[in-house]
Amino acid sequence: MMAEQREEKKQQYSGETFQVVSFRLGGEEYGVDISQVQEIIRMVEITHVPRAPRFMEGVINLRGQLIPIIDLRTRFGMNRADHTKSTRIIVTDIGSKRVGIVVDSVSEVLNIPVENVEDAPEMVAGIGTEYIQGVGKVDTRLIILLDLSKVITSEEKQALDSVDEAAE
Amino acid sequence: MSDEPFDKEEFVAYFRDEAEELLQQIDGDLLRLEEFVDSGQADPEIVNSLFRALHTIKGSSGMLGFTEVQGLAHKLENLCDLLRKERMPLSEGSVEFLFSGRDFLTDLVQAAIGQSAPPSGLNEFTGRLDQFVAIYNETSNVIEGKAPDRGEGGSPAGSEPMNEAEIAAFEAEIERMLAEAAATATPAAPVVPAESAPAPAAAKPAPARGNGESADAKKGAAQGKRSSLAQTIRVDIDRLDALLNLVGELVINRTRISDIATTLGRLMGDRALNASIGLIGPLSKDLADSAALLARTTNEIQESIMKVRMVPIGQVFDRFPRTVRDVAKARGKEVQLQISGADTDLDKTIVDEVGEPLMHLLRNCVDHGIEAPDERERQGKPRMGTIALNAYHEGNQIIIEISDDGGGINLDKVRAKAIKNGLIGTEDRLTDRELIELIFTPGFSTAEEVSDVSGRGVGMDVVKRNITKLKGIFDVDSAPGQGTRFTIKLPLTLAIIQALLVRVVDELYAIPLDSVIESQRVEMPDVRTVHGSEVITLRGQVVPLLRIADFFELGGERDPEKVMIVIVGLQGRQVGLVVDSFEGEQEIVIKPLSDVVGRIPGISGATILGNGSISLIIDVHSLVSDAYAGGKVTRAEFSGV
Repeated sequence: MMAEQREEKKQQYSGETFQVVSFRLGGEEYGVDISQVQEIIRMVEITHVPRAPRFMEGVINLRGQLIPIIDLRTRFGMNRADHTKSTRIIVTDIGSKRVGIVVDSVSEVLNIPVENVEDAPEMVAGIGTEYIQGVGKVDTRLIILLDLSKVITSEEKQALDSVDEAAE
Repeated sequence: MSDEPFDKEEFVAYFRDEAEELLQQIDGDLLRLEEFVDSGQADPEIVNSLFRALHTIKGSSGMLGFTEVQGLAHKLENLCDLLRKERMPLSEGSVEFLFSGRDFLTDLVQAAIGQSAPPSGLNEFTGRLDQFVAIYNETSNVIEGKAPDRGEGGSPAGSEPMNEAEIAAFEAEIERMLAEAAATATPAAPVVPAESAPAPAAAKPAPARGNGESADAKKGAAQGKRSSLAQTIRVDIDRLDALLNLVGELVINRTRISDIATTLGRLMGDRALNASIGLIGPLSKDLADSAALLARTTNEIQESIMKVRMVPIGQVFDRFPRTVRDVAKARGKEVQLQISGADTDLDKTIVDEVGEPLMHLLRNCVDHGIEAPDERERQGKPRMGTIALNAYHEGNQIIIEISDDGGGINLDKVRAKAIKNGLIGTEDRLTDRELIELIFTPGFSTAEEVSDVSGRGVGMDVVKRNITKLKGIFDVDSAPGQGTRFTIKLPLTLAIIQALLVRVVDELYAIPLDSVIESQRVEMPDVRTVHGSEVITLRGQVVPLLRIADFFELGGERDPEKVMIVIVGLQGRQVGLVVDSFEGEQEIVIKPLSDVVGRIPGISGATILGNGSISLIIDVHSLVSDAYAGGKVTRAEFSGV
């Protein structure tokens, strides 16, 4: 079944390669489909939203648009890190939703041939596997390929759940 | 999306809008048609209008492949065709049949665009529909054999012509079957048997938009509507929102430039500055002039764009005559609905939201307000009750009034019910006003038995909450035996508001000025506690305090000497919001928080300030009711929420 899913995913990508933007998060390297990335910006002032879910850092003003910011570390159950000079916000466009995700640093754009991508291991420490598309091998590096729409969809669910809790 | 041959979604959205409009029109046509039942002869203008509307729906649904919608529209079209060619008599039964068909069609359209499940009982209905159309076609063919002048075209069926008596008997039989079918196949409201008197509900059609009220202009209304359509274009509301967003940016920058010009002007006035001022002086004045001009133009643009978003409230009113008619029929009452001010404009978002509460109030008026016809006669009132729905502008607000000439709110009943529910004690003395307020308590209903119309105990509190959500005010007046009047006051727009900026710990928050009564600095010794909650006494009134920093869990240190308080009013009560400092008033543009963030209690949105920073907007209503629910404000001080 996993193999079939991977086949489908492969077909979503034009040609024979995954084109991803790679970034670092807590010593690991991740990649997101370049078509989901709108822009990458430096850290700006984030306005805290009180009583929002923990992973919701707040909102920023991007040229007059309000963009919610998700701390991917918190989202993935890692420790929160202080923002440094290399901290970046990847602004993504998924469906009609524009969301920024905070990452430790952004590395480069990678072309990963389809044959170098493997299914995600059944259990990956700290992260649910539903938003992992696969693991790409580039030389000796392992790039964890994320499906951001899944990250954000389950995100929403959590957000809604926590609101419900607050309401009770 | 872009590699598809055409964007179906866009067509579906267009179809939905168009169908909604047409179904509304069909409803209106049917209501007018109903008035002709007594004469048995339909106004051909109305029937043609019906026919055209059904035909358009058939065409566009066919284009999008909604075959079920297409099929039913086609069948109803056939039925109208019979009316048009006068092959079928106009009767209460046949109109009722068309009404049910219209309801099924609405359900099918909803189902086709994926908003609800397909309606049940459809096959049965279409089956009967087919049967009747077939029977009438056959009958008329037979009749035409004898009297060819009654129809247009259609070849005689070659059988023996029937005699008059046979035809009359046949028609009576069909009439009976029609009534039966309509009674069993109506999906929504139960229908009274066909032999009862025709209900004169909703006698007056809603006036055409922009044409004022001309009661006799039945044809004129239709024509006026058509010509006003020709001068309008359909614009996606998202595009307008985008435009409004940009104007919002402009407003923010205008404020900023004005600030800079003012600051510069002040610096210029400072003689202590160096000599080069002589050169910059005129420039500074130019900047100030230019800033003033920019401010004026921006205001005008802002006003115009707000006007573009305005739509006549008649869009909502259009569906009410049908509702009132159905409810009145179901409850065996005679009610007429008089609508005025349908061309009063207000913001599209508010128009969309205000329909449900109004609908609920109207149902309430018919169900609880207007008495049964016999009872009315006993009291010396006309058998037919009147509900007046009126809308008009007053300053920056729109006022919507719904009044009936029914029995009014029975205060004794309210009182008895409140005592039974434990809301008040038997010894409590309440003013009439306070008793009326009780009907806004959740779960409160004086209806003796639960009906499908109203009286389920969810109602007035929901209406009030919805109106409050729109920043509106809801009021009730009632005179025993004379009727009830509901008054709703709504702001014209929700997008741009005046706000008081306050600082709490590190962040700026905006409090909508319409809920702010005053702001004050109060020394700590004047803050007392009642049952553990902080209160102050303001002009003899005890006002509970709510610390925003605590509510939002922001931490921060408390000032041991004083508190800065913003007094906000809510349903006639006052609450003091404790902040760190006041940062002045400003016009702000409301932007919703992304749905990814979810709903945050106490926050209604955000705005971008002149310096580009973000300020969250405090939702006073949800903040206070949430704090109350969480026990942060004691009931003794805040029993109003």
